[in-house]
Amino acid sequence: MNAFLALTILLSQEAELQKIQELQKNLRDVVEKVKPAYVFFGNGSGVCISSDGWALTNFHVSGDRQGQRVRMPGGKQFLADIVGFDPLGDISLCKLRDAKDLPFCELGDSDALQVGQHVIAVGNPFLLGNGSWEPTITFGIVSALHRYMDNPGYFDAIQTDAQINPGNSGGPLITLDGKVVGINGRIDIKRFMNRVNTGIGYAIPSRQIQRYMEAFKRGGRVFEGFIDGIQIGECGDNRYDNVGEYGDGVFVARVDADTPGGKAGFEPGDIIFDVEGYRIGNANRFHGVVSNWPEGATVKVKVRRKAEEKELKVFLGDPAKILERKRALEATDLGFVQGAGLKVGAVQPGGAGAKAGLKEGDVLTRVDGRRVGSWTEFRALLRPNAELTLTLTREGKDVELTLKVPRPKSDE
Amino acid sequence: MSLLLAFLLGAAAGDDPFAAILAKLRETAAKSVVAIDVERESDPDGITGSGAVSQHRDYYNRPKGPTSGVIYEADGIILTSRFNVSGGIRKNGIKVTLWDGRQLPGELLGTDEQRDIALVKIDAKELPVLPRADASAIGQGTFVALLGRSPDRSNPTVNLGILSATSRMHKTAVQTDAEMNYGNAGGALLTLKGELVGVACNIKPDTVWGQSGGVGFACKIAEIDALLPRLKKGEKIEAEKRPFLGIRAGEGNPDVEGIQVADVIKDSPAEKAGIKKEDVLVELAGVKITDSESLKEALEPRKIGEEIELKVMRKGKDGWQEKAFKLKLEGRAEP
Repeated sequence: MNAFLALTILLSQEAELQKIQELQKNLRDVVEKVKPAYVFFGNGSGVCISSDGWALTNFHVSGDRQGQRVRMPGGKQFLADIVGFDPLGDISLCKLRDAKDLPFCELGDSDALQVGQHVIAVGNPFLLGNGSWEPTITFGIVSALHRYMDNPGYFDAIQTDAQINPGNSGGPLITLDGKVVGINGRIDIKRFMNRVNTGIGYAIPSRQIQRYMEAFKRGGRVFEGFIDGIQIGECGDNRYDNVGEYGDGVFVARVDADTPGGKAGFEPGDIIFDVEGYRIGNANRFHGVVSNWPEGATVKVKVRRKAEEKELKVFLGDPAKILERKRALEATDLGFVQGAGLKVGAVQPGGAGAKAGLKEGDVLTRVDGRRVGSWTEFRALLRPNAELTLTLTREGKDVELTLKVPRPKSDE
Repeated sequence: MSLLLAFLLGAAAGDDPFAAILAKLRETAAKSVVAIDVERESDPDGITGSGAVSQHRDYYNRPKGPTSGVIYEADGIILTSRFNVSGGIRKNGIKVTLWDGRQLPGELLGTDEQRDIALVKIDAKELPVLPRADASAIGQGTFVALLGRSPDRSNPTVNLGILSATSRMHKTAVQTDAEMNYGNAGGALLTLKGELVGVACNIKPDTVWGQSGGVGFACKIAEIDALLPRLKKGEKIEAEKRPFLGIRAGEGNPDVEGIQVADVIKDSPAEKAGIKKEDVLVELAGVKITDSESLKEALEPRKIGEEIELKVMRKGKDGWQEKAFKLKLEGRAEP
C-alpha cells in the first residue's frame, strides 16, 4: 500500500524527472566516453589525449622519472616516459610506450567556461580504484575562474566543487561535451586533517596547456613566460602619481633598455590593460595571463599611454637565460644529425655519436633495451654523463653500441 | 551542488528540477529511513581525548547524536552500518525512531564486518519498504540521493550526488560523491526515483583520509540480500580472510621485471616454500607480475588452501636464474 502511495506521488513529478533524466543521460554518456582515456598514474591520475599515447598529468604526480608503470581502466599496463614538464605550473606531458589506437580525450576550450557550468572530475581518490581499475567520477560545477596562487604556480586556475581528493591529482576536469578543460591538481587542504571536505579543488586550464604543448613535445623542462625588463605596480597605488585606479590594469614603473621589455617599446607610466585579448585587472591577473604562455613566445600587449592606446609585441622570458639553457642542451649534443624517422643523419667526427660508433643510416630502435618511438622520447632519456646502450638496425642487422652522454660544457 | 541543497532547505521547488524531486524524496522515501540511538558503556580504555595516534575505538570519539538505518523488510527488519551499533552497548541500549515519531527498542541481530552492515530488529508491522533499484540500469554518473535521519530524528537529511564508482570494497559496495558523514551512515542511497541502491556504510574515520570528502560507500542490496538469512539468525560474520603469501614487496629490480622481495615473513607460505629475500617474483599462478598492484591482482582470485606455482628470478654465481616454487596459500584477515 505504501509503495503504491509513493508511486503516485512520484508520477506527479514526471516533468522534473524528465529534465533530470536528460541531464542524467548526458552525464552518463560523457562518463562512458571519457572514462576509457583515464590513466592510473602512480599515486595520482592522468589522461590520454591522443591515440598514440600522449598523456597529461601533474608534475607533482609524475616527477621526471622515465619508464613509470601506469594503467588504463580495465588494467592494461603501459610504461610512461616524461617528455616535457613544468614543475612550477605542475604539468607533465608523457608518452605511453608502444601505444596505438588508445581511447583519448580532446582538449577543450577553458576560455569558454562559465561559472556555474557542470563539470566532472575523473580520478583515483585514495587509490580506491586500484585493483578494480575503475576510476572515480565526481560531479560539480565551475565555482570560479582565474584563481591565482603561487607555489606551485596555479596562476590561472579553474576552481571546482567537484570532489577532488588526494589521488585525483593529474586527472581531467571535463565538461558535459566530453572535453578536457583542465588538469585537476591542488585542493584546499587547510581543514584536511579535520577530515572535512572543503569543496575546493583547482585545475590548470586547457588553454594554458595547449600553449605549452609545442614546448612540452620538444622535451625537457619548460619555463613560464614573463616580461623581462619592466617593473610593474598595481594601478591606484597611492605611492605613485597618475597610475590610474585599482582595476584599470598594471602600470609600468621602470623599463630597462636592452631587455625584451625595453625593446618592445614599454615606457614608464604605461598602463597595461590587455594581453592577447585578456583584460588585465591587477598584478596577479597580469602574472596569471602572461604565464599562460611559455618563455620564448611572443604576445601582444595593449597599453594606455596618456590619451593613446598602443599595441606592443613582447618576447617572453629572459633571452640570456634561454640561450644559457639552450647551450646546456647543446652540451649534451651527441654530434649527429637526426634524419627521417629514427634514422641517424650525418655524424660529426669526434662527437659522442662518432665515439660510440654511430654511422649515417643507422636506425635507432631501443635504448637500454626499451623501445623508443621518437627522437623526443630518446631525448627524454638523455642525462649528462649517462651511459646508454643503443640498439640500432644497420643493414638489416641489430647492432648494440654504448653511448657516453657528454658532461655539459661549462659556459665559456 | 550546494546551491541545489539550499533550494531544498527552503523547501521551495522553484525552477530547479532537483529541488522538486529531492523535496518529494524527503516526504516519501524518507519514511523508510530511521534514526538509531545507541547507549554505550563508557570507553573501556578510558581514553576520550583526541590525538593523531590513538588506540581508542572511533565510536567513542564520534559526534553525539543518532545515526541512520533503512527499513529493509516491512515486519521490522532494519539495516544499518555495523559501525553504528558497535562498541560496548548497554542492555536495551538501541532505540529506533520511525518517521512518525514512534520510538521502539531495537534488537541487534547479525552483523557483517567486511561489508560493515548490521541487522536491527524492531517489533513493528507494515512498515514502508523502498522499491529496489535495478543494478543494471544504474552506473557511474547516475544521480543519487543519500537520506539520513540525523541529527534531528524528525527531520531527514538529503544529500545529492552521483554514483562515482560501482566496484569498490571487493565489489561489495558502490561509491558516491554525495556527502556522507557520521549521522547519515546507515542511511539509504537512492536513485532520484526513490529506489534503494544500497545502505551507506564503511565510514572509515580511522584513516586520516576520512570518508566525507566526497567519497562515501554504500553496501549493494544484492550483497545484503545474499546475507540476509544469516543476519536474521544473528550471525556475526567476520571479515573474509584473503589469500596470503607472506612476503613484503619491495621496489622493482632494474635487471628483472617483477617485484623484489624485501622481506619474507616467518612461518608464512612463502618462507615454507623457500622464497628468499631479494628474489624477484615474476609470475604467480600463470599471471605475470610487474609491480605490487599486479601481485595483488594475481592473488585476488585465488583460494585459501590452494596450491599455486610461483616463479622467481634468483641471482646466483651465474647470474639470474628462474626458479619455480609450489606453495599453499594461507588466509589472513585484511589489516
